[in-house]
Amino acid sequence: MIEYAYLIPLIPVAASLIILFGAKEDPHSPLPWIGIGAMALCLALSISILWGFVGGGVALPYEKNWDWFSFATTIGGHSFVWPMQIGVLIDPPAAVMLFVVTLVSLMVQLYSISYMHDDARYKRYFGFVSFFTAAMLGLVVSSNLLVGFACWELMGLTSYLLIGFWFERPGPCEAQKKAFMTTKLGDSGLYLALVLLYVKTGTFQLSQIHTSFAHGLIMPAAATVAAFGILFGAMGKSAQAPLMIWLPDAMEGPTPGSALIHAATMVAAGILVVSKLYFVFLAAPMAMEAAAWIGLITAFMAAAMALVTVDIKRVLAFSTVSQLGFMMCALGCGGFTAGLFHLTTHAFFKALLFLGAGSVIHSVHTNDMRQMGGLSRRMLITFATMAVAVLAISGVPPFAGFYSKDMILVAAWNHEKAIFWPLLLTALMTAFYMTRLLVLTFLGDDRDHERFHHAHESPSLITVPLIVLAIFSTFAGFAINHNDLAARLFPKPTLAASAEPLKTEEANAAQPSNAAVSEKLADPESEKGDKELPSWLTWGIPGFFVPAAMLLAFFMYRGPKFELADGIKSTFSPIATLLDRRWYLDDAFLALVAFCDQVAALAYWIDVNVVDRVFVDGWGLLMRIIAEISSFFDNAFVDSTVDGVGGLATDLGVGLRSLVQDGQAQEYLMYAGIAFALAATLMLTL
Amino acid sequence: MLEHIVFYSLSALVLLSALGVVLHKNTVHSSLFLGLSLAGVAGLYAALGADFLFAAQIMVYVSGIAVLVMFVVMLLGRASDLHLRQVNEYWFVALAICGVSSVGLLRLASARNATLSAGAAHPSTHAIGRLFLGEYLLPFELVSLLLMAALLGAVFFTHKETKEIAS
Amino acid sequence: MTLADYMIVSALLFLIGVFGALTRRNIIGILMSIELMFNAANLNLAAFDRFLHPEGLVGQTVAIFTMTVAAAEIVVGLALLLAIYRNTDTVYVEDFHLLKG
Repeated sequence: MIEYAYLIPLIPVAASLIILFGAKEDPHSPLPWIGIGAMALCLALSISILWGFVGGGVALPYEKNWDWFSFATTIGGHSFVWPMQIGVLIDPPAAVMLFVVTLVSLMVQLYSISYMHDDARYKRYFGFVSFFTAAMLGLVVSSNLLVGFACWELMGLTSYLLIGFWFERPGPCEAQKKAFMTTKLGDSGLYLALVLLYVKTGTFQLSQIHTSFAHGLIMPAAATVAAFGILFGAMGKSAQAPLMIWLPDAMEGPTPGSALIHAATMVAAGILVVSKLYFVFLAAPMAMEAAAWIGLITAFMAAAMALVTVDIKRVLAFSTVSQLGFMMCALGCGGFTAGLFHLTTHAFFKALLFLGAGSVIHSVHTNDMRQMGGLSRRMLITFATMAVAVLAISGVPPFAGFYSKDMILVAAWNHEKAIFWPLLLTALMTAFYMTRLLVLTFLGDDRDHERFHHAHESPSLITVPLIVLAIFSTFAGFAINHNDLAARLFPKPTLAASAEPLKTEEANAAQPSNAAVSEKLADPESEKGDKELPSWLTWGIPGFFVPAAMLLAFFMYRGPKFELADGIKSTFSPIATLLDRRWYLDDAFLALVAFCDQVAALAYWIDVNVVDRVFVDGWGLLMRIIAEISSFFDNAFVDSTVDGVGGLATDLGVGLRSLVQDGQAQEYLMYAGIAFALAATLMLTL
Repeated sequence: MLEHIVFYSLSALVLLSALGVVLHKNTVHSSLFLGLSLAGVAGLYAALGADFLFAAQIMVYVSGIAVLVMFVVMLLGRASDLHLRQVNEYWFVALAICGVSSVGLLRLASARNATLSAGAAHPSTHAIGRLFLGEYLLPFELVSLLLMAALLGAVFFTHKETKEIAS
Repeated sequence: MTLADYMIVSALLFLIGVFGALTRRNIIGILMSIELMFNAANLNLAAFDRFLHPEGLVGQTVAIFTMTVAAAEIVVGLALLLAIYRNTDTVYVEDFHLLKG
């Protein structure tokens, strides 16, 4: 079935086109089921690929390229043909991502049938969702970086469309522009990195670039620049600090859209690209270090903001940013497997959290958690599934998040203790605020009786996806961690030149086959390497610290009023304001824009007053002066000379005329007589 | 011998009368001297043996033109002009012109010094008449036309506008 | 008598006529001087005819023509003079300077 892998991105494209252009808008249109059918088909294909790989039937990585276009050119006397290829490259992480993306997308679309069922643009929503999924799948499978970048940009487009889905309100309009522009800022870095890689390697094909790096053909300086460019792109798309300002505002869009895009898939694209181009980072240790620190800072800042937020979706948005910071930190610390493992588990439980939040919002018609409370009595399935998700994200065994988070902490411990401790703190903060969310929403007394009485469980099209995702959130972590499957699914790439002598067999194991994988990863940076966490941490984190954080949250927020929380807030009110204002990042960007405005105004002023006055007007004035002088000379000297000559001629003529011609005919006769005399004498005598 | 005397006296008459024409203050005297000069020329014609020319000269010039000039002189009156000089201020230049020209003309004339009279003159009237109506018929007719034009022109120029007399 | 004698006479008569034409202030004086010039030319013609071609008489014929033309000319001249005198009351040629300039 893997030879049909190229269909996986194409089927949703076709579906989206049919949905968008197949019929007019209709709140009860049947077209969305086409999208769901397409996604189910893709899911089936993805399962077949993944199952085949895990079971041993399918050999990955699988690459198949077609020549798209080529042009012949002559450079330096040599003529050659440059082909542009398009195709699929499926390695184990890609296979996992295929499964994750198609599953989450399918769940979201089923959910949306119910959630969006009365919307004016019901049909269009599904077109966008299908199109988005197609773009994401395209990025996952693409073997060509440029095509992948095109899919990246298409994801940005559909994200824009979905965030601003309800564009009649000003909020979504502002949010969609902010998201687009912030991610575009990051994309510029990624694009420059792509161009640099092309210039250095002469190709856009991922496997060929990997080979170039593996043979040590790329200078460290170029690799570092490219790595930073890629990092910058990931910062934009995966909302790392300081470009994370767009993700909280992106919650203006429909919740299932947020679940798909801003929780599980699109924001993971940045992490995904970093992992695809991990060999570039391996050649640029400085960029790896930067990635680790950026990830840590992002995780911490976002977790802090989530502590004080009362909007349920916003808490989840901050949580997403924080978890993405975890993933980026893991990748930076060399924990490739840990990062991608967490990406997978995060997709499940974050999608679940968003969909559950959507279910709650649909039920009580508010996002404000202060107006919720005690909903566990009304919405049992939603409560149960969300509790599962909260346990997963907090890192409580045996739920999914525990295994992946544990792996990340081990990677950090092995890389740099200075990163480990803040990361641990952030993990505890995560547990705290997620429990807070759960308690505020579902437990305790109802704070708004009206809403509470109107609350009801959501229909099955909403609850079934929740249950499916809850199952995965429960078992996926254990299943992947079992039997070292994680190492097989997310094998860490290497650079042959940087490999230790121990692992020479890895040099030609760039395509890991199923059997030899386990031995392959015995390098010092391995996540399951020499050093595990000390046992008091290994047992203490899940056994003591996390439950402690959760219980703290439980007791603080369980009552109708939260005196302790408010007390802490008022005591540390500057910090609270800082967090409320989102670390003043928005203000910083606006100030930057204003500064640029000022610079532009200054440049304009200089242009108008200095350049125009001095150079343009001054030049004109100079020309005028020269012209005036010339004119003066012309009038005074030249003209008077001309006039003088003319006057002289006239005067001469008049003088001569009046000398000779005075009207006396006898005089004229006399002149004739003189002539006659002369003639007579001269002719007759000579 | 007689020839010489006749010739010289007639020449003197002609030339002196001509001088009188151009030098006299009184225009009437000038016109009279003109008549005298013209008569002298007629005499010279006779000395040359051109009898018809002599007669024509007397008839046309002396009694025609000279008399006409006299008429007009007297018609114009101007008796009070006697005190004005009749010679303009450029007489010296004119004298110089005449002097210079005379040099040439006289030298030309003196080249013919050796020519003598070729023979007796014939009566010319018959021959001239024959020529007029023979070889020179066209100029003859044209001249008559010219005279007609002159006649008409004279009448035209001297015609006075007369007022209508109320009857 | 030689031709030269007659030529000298006619030349002197002509020059006197020229002198008069250039010098006389009165228009009639100028006209009379012109008559003198005419006569000088006629005399020349007749003399040449007599001395060189006595049988042809062409010269005399031409002299007749000249005489006729002179007559016509003086008639018209006098008529003009009368007309001018009637309009401007002067017979002095220096008073007519319309050709001035």
